[in-house]
Amino acid sequence: MGRRGLSANAARPPIDRRATRSGYVLPRVSTGLSRLLAYAIFLLGWQALSTFVFPPFILPSPVLVAQEMVSIVESGQFLTHFLATIGRLFVGFAIAFVLGAAIGIAMGRSAYWREFFSDYIMLTLTTPGLVFALICAMFFGLSPLGPVVAIILTAMPHVTINVYEGVRAIPRDLLDMAHVYEVSRPARVRNVLVPAIAPYLFTAARYGFAIAWKITALTELFGSASGVGFQIRTEFLLFSMRGVLAWALFLVIFAIVMERFVLMRMERRFFRWRRQAFA
Amino acid sequence: MAQVEVSHLHKVFEGESRTVTALDDVSFEASGHTFVSLVGPSGCGKSTLLNILAGVEHATSGRAEILDGGRRARLGYVFQSPRLLPWRTVLDNMMFVQPDQGAEHRERAEHYLEMVGLSDTRKAWPGQLSGGMQQRVGIARAFSIEPDALLMDEPFSHLDAITARTLRRELHALWMETRKTVLFVTHDVFEAVELSDRIIILAKGGSLRQNLTIDLPYPRDPSDDRVALTKTEVLRQFEDLDLVAS
Amino acid sequence: MQATLETSRVPAAWIRIVHLLTTPRAARLTAPILIIVTWQLVAPLIGSTLLPMPIDVLEEFIDLAIEGTVWSAFAISFVRLGIGLALAVVIGVVVGLLLGLSPRAEAFAHDFLVIGLTFPYLIWGIIVSMWFGFGDAGPILVVFIAAVPYVIVNMAEGVRDAPRDLIDMARSYDAPRLRVIRQVVVPSLSPFFFAALRYGLANGWKGLVLAEVFAATSGAGWEIAGMRDIGNASGVVAYALYFAFFSILVERLVFGRLSDWVFRWRPRRPEAARAVNA
Repeated sequence: MGRRGLSANAARPPIDRRATRSGYVLPRVSTGLSRLLAYAIFLLGWQALSTFVFPPFILPSPVLVAQEMVSIVESGQFLTHFLATIGRLFVGFAIAFVLGAAIGIAMGRSAYWREFFSDYIMLTLTTPGLVFALICAMFFGLSPLGPVVAIILTAMPHVTINVYEGVRAIPRDLLDMAHVYEVSRPARVRNVLVPAIAPYLFTAARYGFAIAWKITALTELFGSASGVGFQIRTEFLLFSMRGVLAWALFLVIFAIVMERFVLMRMERRFFRWRRQAFA
Repeated sequence: MAQVEVSHLHKVFEGESRTVTALDDVSFEASGHTFVSLVGPSGCGKSTLLNILAGVEHATSGRAEILDGGRRARLGYVFQSPRLLPWRTVLDNMMFVQPDQGAEHRERAEHYLEMVGLSDTRKAWPGQLSGGMQQRVGIARAFSIEPDALLMDEPFSHLDAITARTLRRELHALWMETRKTVLFVTHDVFEAVELSDRIIILAKGGSLRQNLTIDLPYPRDPSDDRVALTKTEVLRQFEDLDLVAS
Repeated sequence: MQATLETSRVPAAWIRIVHLLTTPRAARLTAPILIIVTWQLVAPLIGSTLLPMPIDVLEEFIDLAIEGTVWSAFAISFVRLGIGLALAVVIGVVVGLLLGLSPRAEAFAHDFLVIGLTFPYLIWGIIVSMWFGFGDAGPILVVFIAAVPYVIVNMAEGVRDAPRDLIDMARSYDAPRLRVIRQVVVPSLSPFFFAALRYGLANGWKGLVLAEVFAATSGAGWEIAGMRDIGNASGVVAYALYFAFFSILVERLVFGRLSDWVFRWRPRRPEAARAVNA
């Protein structure tokens, strides 16, 4: 009785159910804590390696990189080049998305268009982006068309195949119901087709965007006079690891922000109905 | 008043290696405030018949239509699965099928939702409702457009027996109040006897075998002797046919 | 011969040709033909220094084949790819299994994996070139870095999807542990393993080629970048064609009928099965 009283008084960590399933019992550490720990260990490890093991031109410390990032912003370079890149990125992505969706819908509805585009899509999915970046950089020289066309060539197929899957997955039973009730065509499109394809559009945007920003930087590196890619090339030629890492981090942070705070927010609003349903 | 006219209806499905006759020279009529059940084993074409009447499928030959004063009747349809738009609230689902989105129709939709006892769910997502509740919304939806006739395709077959019984009672109450023409497909002979004025029996292969009139007064209590007798009688006819069918 | 009424002035042959051209099968041919024809028409307008003519590209393509560096370049690349991928598989499988088994480890590693999956290979290529100069080490390391997150993620997924019910069933029959592993666990993991290989290979290849531009003096990536450096436009496009050729070859040959990833979105041919009465 006494022992039980003791353990009942002590704060008992609840058993993590998932851990039990695979065979062992863990006290539950919140996932947030684990992630924080991960970042802390990573930064400390980086700092330690850069201080004790590697010279600063091989592995600059996190502090040095952060300082570089600040100075890039302060000098105004960030604004100039980042905006240039963003501009090309959004123009290219917008075109790639609209064109890709249109082609995806055409492919979903017609065997002819499916066969027409299938080889092109297969080729662009397997060929490394480097090839497209080189070709576009070469053909378009310093014009912003280079990155834009490269984005269209590489991101479009990702959008297309996802939209195609969406069109194929359109729920026939709901469309039949709308047909039987003589619902008008615009109402059908708005209430059945668009919500049914929406998840696929989000996936398409996600994959397309992920490719787009990388190819923008790559094409800029080979053939532009401005932009993040151009700056990375400059830093590389100056053999400044600090500079390369700084600009790389700008890119990566931007990508994460877009994914987390833009895409996920939109998704959350759109798919409230899914999360609130019980199984 | 809605008039159901089916005349020498043929429907054949062409498969990869064989053809399947779903409906074989089916003819019958129904008018006014009649509750007609289409009964038969699986493969007898009863769902196909309903789909042709609804305009979802086309007949191979023959005629099948529901008219109201000469023009094509407005139809409500209840499916086996509720077929609610999962991304719209219950009330929005009701509004989706209304001929216009004005206040009057909104009130109508809310009224029928209340008649099936689901007013509280009007802002809920279909995914938050049980299967029985979703089906009730489907029934309310069909009634709410105040159609000339109602088509129902085994609406209770996916529900457990208790929920099915409850919904059957609710459907009957709704029908008694509105007295529409109803075409009700089922494989459950007892259900047909409890609900209908007329029972049409189709055999496997799509031919019409019996066109019965059930002359019992409503409400039909399952424990009533006459009801039980009628059930046995119809079931016997049903089983006789199965022996004869190929 | 029966006399036929000419109901239209268009010769029947033309009608047949147009009809044939609009069939889906013809579409597969129409697309590349259309591209080449447009290319041929547009190129002279723009200026051949920037946009090579199809015929020039073809010439370069054949020259490269005869001269031979293209074959050795791709061979070198494939060797690097193989080594990097092997490392990625060995380490990735172990880590992936671990992460699948331990939710705490997974929470710990989650953000690293996300970063690993999104970090541009371009930067890795540049980084390793500053670390290792020119050679094999840089490219191989980039292959590893590019492939390993995909291997880890897929194997972890495989563990999470392990058929608990089958394992419990086997245990209830007191089946020896080794047999359970061999007959239940390993087969259930194998589709995930193949997915890990496929994604690892595809991304390793992309990373490799990019790394070779900055951190090597041989290999397919280095060669195509070199073509551009000397301004040989036809050379770049010809190499692009070789890239396409080898990419398809690898996908088809190495994974055969398992290469559904690229082709899964294509409709399958209707099963030549007898109609089953549902």
